[in-house]
Amino acid sequence: MSGNGNRHAGRRFGRTELPPELQQAAHRAIRLEWITLGVLAVTVLVVGLVTGSSQAMKAAWIEDMLSFVPPTAFLVAMRVINRPPSRNRPYGNHRAIGIGHLVAGVALLTMGVFLVVDSAIGLVTGEHPPIGSYHLFGQTIWMGWFMIVVMLLSVPGPVILGRMKLKIADQLHDKVLYADADMNKADWQTGIATAVGVAGVGLGWWWADAAAAIFVGASIVYDGVRNVGTAVTDLADARARTIEGKGEHPLVYRAEDHASSSDWVRQAGARVRDEGHVFHVEMFVVPEPGATVTLERLQSLRDSLAELDWKLEDIVVVPVPELPAEVHGGRAGDRQAEGGMQWAER
Amino acid sequence: MRHGRDGGPRRDRAGLPLAGLALTAALALTGCTSSGYPADPDGTYDRATGGTLRVGAVHHPPYVDASGAEPEGSEAELVEGFARSIDADIEWTVTGEAAAMTALKEGDLDLVAGGLTTKTPWTTHAAITRSYAEDTGPDGKTARLVMAVPLGENQMLTELERYLDTEHPGARP
Repeated sequence: MSGNGNRHAGRRFGRTELPPELQQAAHRAIRLEWITLGVLAVTVLVVGLVTGSSQAMKAAWIEDMLSFVPPTAFLVAMRVINRPPSRNRPYGNHRAIGIGHLVAGVALLTMGVFLVVDSAIGLVTGEHPPIGSYHLFGQTIWMGWFMIVVMLLSVPGPVILGRMKLKIADQLHDKVLYADADMNKADWQTGIATAVGVAGVGLGWWWADAAAAIFVGASIVYDGVRNVGTAVTDLADARARTIEGKGEHPLVYRAEDHASSSDWVRQAGARVRDEGHVFHVEMFVVPEPGATVTLERLQSLRDSLAELDWKLEDIVVVPVPELPAEVHGGRAGDRQAEGGMQWAER
Repeated sequence: MRHGRDGGPRRDRAGLPLAGLALTAALALTGCTSSGYPADPDGTYDRATGGTLRVGAVHHPPYVDASGAEPEGSEAELVEGFARSIDADIEWTVTGEAAAMTALKEGDLDLVAGGLTTKTPWTTHAAITRSYAEDTGPDGKTARLVMAVPLGENQMLTELERYLDTEHPGARP
């Protein structure tokens, strides 16, 4: 239904050619994710070297390992999504981002649960973590100091990267990037909790380590549950939501209002799917009584809808005698004749 | 960040990391001023210092030879040296490896010596020291020698490792 030809310039999300500022955002996001992978590789290596028998360190290390998943999913998805729709992939490859999101969420959830259970068992059975010393330059130094220093050094990087990525995620409407950024941003908690746990062990509080590990594990579970939740609702074609999954996406209202502002349209209501970055829109329109629905009118409405936002490209305009119930809420007692989102409460 | 401010999880307040850092520093400082850092949850090192060090000797010549009245051998000498360094008397218990490890776990021994290597499977029962020296094992491969102390008694572990470092300065980190 869309009228664009074969334009090939720069990065695109399937059929959707990105405007220049978003091209830039996409490039920055890709660069930031590569930097994230680099930072993670160093962190995993160094944390792995000093982990020893500390449960909290193990938890932090596993969290770092898991942090590879979202950036990798993002980078893979960006490549896959670049391909335009084809006969075999008529909706394009946008779902790659949703699949990546789900994979990342499930990985987080599984490992988080494992860590919480493992640490809780350690706490209940009273496992005392042995943390010995390290011999460096003729000095015997308690290993705990290395752990604390490494954990504190691992704090600033992800926090800074997370904040930078968060902005771009909102621009690109990219939920994997958003989830990744959000996790990075909260990563300092892991570092601090682990450092405090190890410092507690140094004080002779054997339980501090397991307690810190449970805290870290719980934060991973929290991330997992949230990510699995939004990924599943998106893949199940829930109503398009804003990037953090809180509210309905304002673009849906804008599109409906725009359609019903056409002089030949009496009511308009849209079924909008969030495909990952872009939206697929089925715009149902009820023509004014007596108005003729021409191909030109439909086409010009489609084109003007596409101009509202770069996210709107794959749009179908369907003239109907009355709006389907699900388009405007579909609650019992909802009167279709009064439907259309412009009458709904905002 | 148009929609990011409303009701999102508030986990990014700048005050919390600082509070965490301060707490870590405070913990570390109190640790330095009390009995020792790292400290033993069950006070093994403190109890042994100036008192009695309860050592499990597992017969394993040439490291520990328990056939005489008093255990002898290279590790027996190391343990005696360590006891002297903390002004402790040794109470030897000559026993088998499994019994010694169980006793460590139960808190009835403070140290086990007997030609243990880094390959020891007893890590669920005991904290194993860093290897203090290398030797050739019965299979002709390099064996790295260790001793065992109670799990989580980190001052005991660290101080024993410190002593072994000074006695065997060439050993691996």
